[in-house]
Amino acid sequence: MPKGEITLRPVSELDIESICGIDEKIVGKDRPAEWERRIAYYLRRDPELSLVAVEDGTVVGFMLGEVRGGEFGLEETSGWIEVLGVDPECRGRAVGRRLLEGMLANFKKRGATAVRTLVSEESQKELLGFFEAGGFKSTPIRTLECRL
Amino acid sequence: MENVRSSTLPKKYHDAVVRWGQTFLPDYQLLLDNWEKFFPHDRRHELCAYRQCGMCDTIEVGDMAGKPKFERASEMTPDHASHLLKAIKAQASTELGSIQQHQLTLARAPEEQDQFWVLRMMAEELRHGYQMFSLLLEDDWKAVSDTKGEDMVEEVLQMRTGSHVLGAFNVDFDSFVDNIVFCALIDRVGKYQLAMQKVSAYKPMSESMPPMLQEEAFHLATGVVPIRRWVQSAARGEGYVGMDLLQKIINKWYPRGLDMFGDERGGGSNVRMGLKPMKNGEAAAQYTAEVEQLIGDLNLRYVRARFPDISRQEAQERLALIRDEGEAVEGVTRDDLLRLPHPSFFRRRGIYAYQMLDLDGKPVQDLEEYKKLMLRVLPEAYATARDTTKYFDLMRQVLAGEVKAQDAVHILPNLSRVGGVCPCSRAVRWVVDEPTSGNGHG
Repeated sequence: MPKGEITLRPVSELDIESICGIDEKIVGKDRPAEWERRIAYYLRRDPELSLVAVEDGTVVGFMLGEVRGGEFGLEETSGWIEVLGVDPECRGRAVGRRLLEGMLANFKKRGATAVRTLVSEESQKELLGFFEAGGFKSTPIRTLECRL
Repeated sequence: MENVRSSTLPKKYHDAVVRWGQTFLPDYQLLLDNWEKFFPHDRRHELCAYRQCGMCDTIEVGDMAGKPKFERASEMTPDHASHLLKAIKAQASTELGSIQQHQLTLARAPEEQDQFWVLRMMAEELRHGYQMFSLLLEDDWKAVSDTKGEDMVEEVLQMRTGSHVLGAFNVDFDSFVDNIVFCALIDRVGKYQLAMQKVSAYKPMSESMPPMLQEEAFHLATGVVPIRRWVQSAARGEGYVGMDLLQKIINKWYPRGLDMFGDERGGGSNVRMGLKPMKNGEAAAQYTAEVEQLIGDLNLRYVRARFPDISRQEAQERLALIRDEGEAVEGVTRDDLLRLPHPSFFRRRGIYAYQMLDLDGKPVQDLEEYKKLMLRVLPEAYATARDTTKYFDLMRQVLAGEVKAQDAVHILPNLSRVGGVCPCSRAVRWVVDEPTSGNGHG
């Protein structure tokens, strides 16, 4: 894996294949239809918000989200981080942290006063640690679920 | 969109654009009626002009870098104004021209989602044309130009396929695959032009670009996502769009995309005047690199779909063997994959204009041989259409010395329409003066 300066830029439709590749390394499955749908969604909503991290011309991480407000009893404009992934071969090099910093700055530019995300305490302990290190705290808002 | 102010054109011009839309974008209301179904929670489309606030106030490139941007046309020299008006007219023409093209084959979309994505894209192109009209109408160009903004608006509204400024917008669509490949390849050129115009020394132009660029991002996805899906279906032997058809349509549009950048040697005056940050050749080279990446990703997708049980690494290795070494792997050959023609192929502008060069950029000696080649590598409907026959006729004239290649560049296909979308839309002014309030006579 090439090592160079990591830069951030907005995600584009040309990143779909790279993101598929990173996702496949993480989850072990090739999911092109899923990423085609998702990337098109984020491009439609706000193409300058979601970011990829690039090193030597190769996408090594991504973070996708959007700004919403008026849901779940939360009237304030909030940023939501919905998806992220870092190439496992690039872990430990602050790619995730750089992406988080970039996204927080983007959310702030768009008037968000808080940023939220959802993490599973059982299956995403590492991710929990990542967000806590980034200044995120648990909130009184509970996730409720009804299985169908 | 944050930090953006919106405005509408004076009523008679706004109404003219609405009327134009009713003729050339008749499904506009259908789009709005189905907005929540296909674009839930997205900001609803509005026909208005947007200006980004808080942009850079100083000229960013060229001889006047560092000086304040021009806020009004009267602050420019006539030469500046002339370059700028050409760009605004070309931009407006491309926006409306593309709508006329897309409308021809919109109804043939095999998937409803793809159809509504294209329809949304068309509505946003209409807004982009409207945006350019706002630049023409909200400033007084008389001090620096013989052109009146309102006359240019009417002129662009009158344009039809065959009379638009740039060649790519005078080519008919023959199938919905044209709609999609056009979004992937030609809107991509549009993205470059908009990104370059973002640094325009004319502040209203630079402020117009960010909202247009945001909308353009989805237009590119409107092209790339269906092509990815079609490539995967083709690999599995399913679906209706084969790799051969996709290749022929890429061969049709990629050269027109390159032509849109203008002569590779040109663009220097735009950079000097602070209107764009790079010359034509540099921008075209970056565009080609992007399209090459797209083709590479599509080919990888093809191999993965064809061999679903191998890993990504193995698929990349197989692709390299097939594409770069020319080997056949389990029945897949180089001919099964997509490729980008050489940049010199089928060009009508620039250093390769009106040269008989094949897909690899190698010369073809004989016009009849060249025609046979083109019939093989272009989509059948297009290869036998008026645009192509006009091209062959001009090529014959260039070869015979009757016309110089540099003059052939300026001869538009100028297709005269037989019939049309609506008989009343020909040779009728779109902008209608409001009736003055009467005093009861008559």
